[in-house]
Amino acid sequence: MSDRNMTVLGRRTLLGGTAALGLGTPMLARAQAQTTIRWWSPQTAPAQREAYNFQIRAFEQANPGVRVVFEATSDEGYPAQMAAAFASQQVPSVVTHLPSFALATYWQNGLLEPMNDVIQAVGPQNYYEGANRIYEITPGQYCGTGIGNSAANMLWLRADLMQAAGISAPPRTWDQLRDACRRMQGRGVFGAPLPYGRNSMTSLIFICFVHGAGGQIFTPDLQVAVDSDAFRNALEFYKSMRELCPPGATGYSWGESLTAFVSGATATGIYTGRVLANVAAQNPRIADHISCHRYPTISADIAHWTFNDFPSVMIPKVAPNMDLAKRFAAHLFQPEGYIRQLHAAPGHVLPVLKTISAMPQYQDNAIINKYRAMVDLMSESAAAGHNLGWETPRHKPNTRAGAIIASHALSEAVQRYVINNEPMAQVVSVTAQRLEQLMRAS
Amino acid sequence: MAQRGASAAREAMAVPGLTAADRAAVNPLDRGYALLGMVLIAPTVLIFCAVIVYPLVSAIYLSLFSIFTPTLSGSFVGFRNYAELANSPEFWRSLLNNLIWTVLTLTLQVVLGIAAALMLNQAMVFRSLARSLILFPYFVSTVVAVLVWRWLFNDLYGVLNHLMMWAGILDMPLDWLGAMPNAMVSVVLVGAWKYFPFVVIAVLARLQTIPETLYEAATIDGAGAWGRFTDVTLPQLRDVLVVVVLLRAIWDFKEFDLIYLLTGGGPIIGTQTLPLMVYKEAFGLNEMGRASAVAVAMMLVMLVFMLVYFRVLRARGEEPR
Repeated sequence: MSDRNMTVLGRRTLLGGTAALGLGTPMLARAQAQTTIRWWSPQTAPAQREAYNFQIRAFEQANPGVRVVFEATSDEGYPAQMAAAFASQQVPSVVTHLPSFALATYWQNGLLEPMNDVIQAVGPQNYYEGANRIYEITPGQYCGTGIGNSAANMLWLRADLMQAAGISAPPRTWDQLRDACRRMQGRGVFGAPLPYGRNSMTSLIFICFVHGAGGQIFTPDLQVAVDSDAFRNALEFYKSMRELCPPGATGYSWGESLTAFVSGATATGIYTGRVLANVAAQNPRIADHISCHRYPTISADIAHWTFNDFPSVMIPKVAPNMDLAKRFAAHLFQPEGYIRQLHAAPGHVLPVLKTISAMPQYQDNAIINKYRAMVDLMSESAAAGHNLGWETPRHKPNTRAGAIIASHALSEAVQRYVINNEPMAQVVSVTAQRLEQLMRAS
Repeated sequence: MAQRGASAAREAMAVPGLTAADRAAVNPLDRGYALLGMVLIAPTVLIFCAVIVYPLVSAIYLSLFSIFTPTLSGSFVGFRNYAELANSPEFWRSLLNNLIWTVLTLTLQVVLGIAAALMLNQAMVFRSLARSLILFPYFVSTVVAVLVWRWLFNDLYGVLNHLMMWAGILDMPLDWLGAMPNAMVSVVLVGAWKYFPFVVIAVLARLQTIPETLYEAATIDGAGAWGRFTDVTLPQLRDVLVVVVLLRAIWDFKEFDLIYLLTGGGPIIGTQTLPLMVYKEAFGLNEMGRASAVAVAMMLVMLVFMLVYFRVLRARGEEPR
């Protein structure tokens, strides 16, 4: 190539570059003018993502120049991701479906924006009575608002297996449950998919068993209360159920436990209403045989205790474009999008707005219609539900609940006693010490 | 004047025992070269400070505080974090786990790697294809590899349990990841599978450069296959193995994702290594200060390894590389 050609090519390149720059500058300016809202959630099943996309599109159309980006987190991973986000000040604009006790920890450390404006925008009169009470850590200020209710420790049964085992009624007590599991176990089917992993599910489900034994993890004024007969009875029962669970239950978390029941590998299940949609999609063969009930307790004298993680909406205090973030948070409750979100997993996330529950569009769902009595039972149970952040109506809000779950102190207690066969006294003592240490760290 | 200056510079250079700095002080040209040298080396020094010195000093600094991770606010606690670590059974157990994991998986990687490299160095059908395929575990993403292995280990649907029960080795499915010592064994096996191709690459490259005449001479001297391996191959591989073992020991010691995704450190803390403990302290318990103390302790352990390594090399009359 001659020098002359190189010069011509150079000029052409230069001209082309200038033209590209000329065309690109407005695009760049437009891109810079666009505002981005980042939305995080650990609820990311494909059907839910579709519903989220609908809500995102609707918001973007109503707010030109705004782009909403959905980013997935997970039930086990969100504490780390949120901690990193807060530390780096690179926070999402809106976070949904985290349990209420996680919000309490963030609120206590001044990391959240009060959600009063969002609740006002949604309409406080539209919520079920007391739906936002758990978020009122500071009187008059709400650290979050509910986007749903969930009843996480419902007992799922297979009528066909019960009939084959000669069991006529759902178990009410632990003894009856263990007996039923024992009778239904066999021919490749295990009794129950209780989690024994070092994870949040084991911690949260074990708390249900402690309450099912009439105990509590903390006293109402938040003193550690695990050195109790109820805690010991819960550990003992949990251990006795190990032989009725699959060998891999030592690693089970929410996904594995759900799949074990839905796939037919276990005769009973312990989960939210997500079972309904998953059975319909993955194992319709058992769809007519499943039923859900409140989880048994140690005796009929002890009332049922439902674990509701109170899936929430929260906005970090340092989120950019605060007004827009609040508008988007309120937009998530718009009936058309909200109902799609609820229908993505019917019975799993239950509505917190009574106006939505009453709408024909919400009621008009094949799964909700088929299992209406069960959905009603879950709604009723969830409405009266509690979690470690608020164990009973007498308890003070526990703003350390998130750290306690993330520490795995309770799931480790289960593993020490059930898997390692450590003495009961030692397990109780170590657990009490760790909980006290975690509470002191506040 | 200029002539007198140049003359003085020449005289100064002629004086024996003068350093470059001395010469630069009197010679403008040397001063220019010295300045240019500093300018040229500056980016390297800056990058070194940014990526090595700053994080290191930050970690040591943070380890002296009690810091709540999300707000990065906290108070100075001096050496309390280190004192707590020294009295923490969890720290010592994690360190022990770390050593067990590193030694076992590294040993397996080296043994498998040498064996596979020797096999691939032979004339065989589809040798090129085999050489490509054996590298597959090393290139596949850790997340994907762990998902596949978790599926293989699954108690209800896993192929491993199914095959072992079919063969009559097991009556009931084995809990590969949820009970000890199975969990540690499983983690070590998956680690060895994932990383042994690195040893294969390095050893195979060296094997191809060993002169054939050495083997011929050994054969003439009456050496059998084992004798040729121990007296010719292994000594020839020693240099490359020293480097491979050093690198893999460092990488395995700080391995996080594979163990975290496979067992999460469980059951209890049965497979929890120090990197997992750092993560748990920093983001699970939001104790950034204590996490930094664990990280600094990890660095000190690595430093001890390095010193031992250099000492061994010196004892053999070799220079550290």
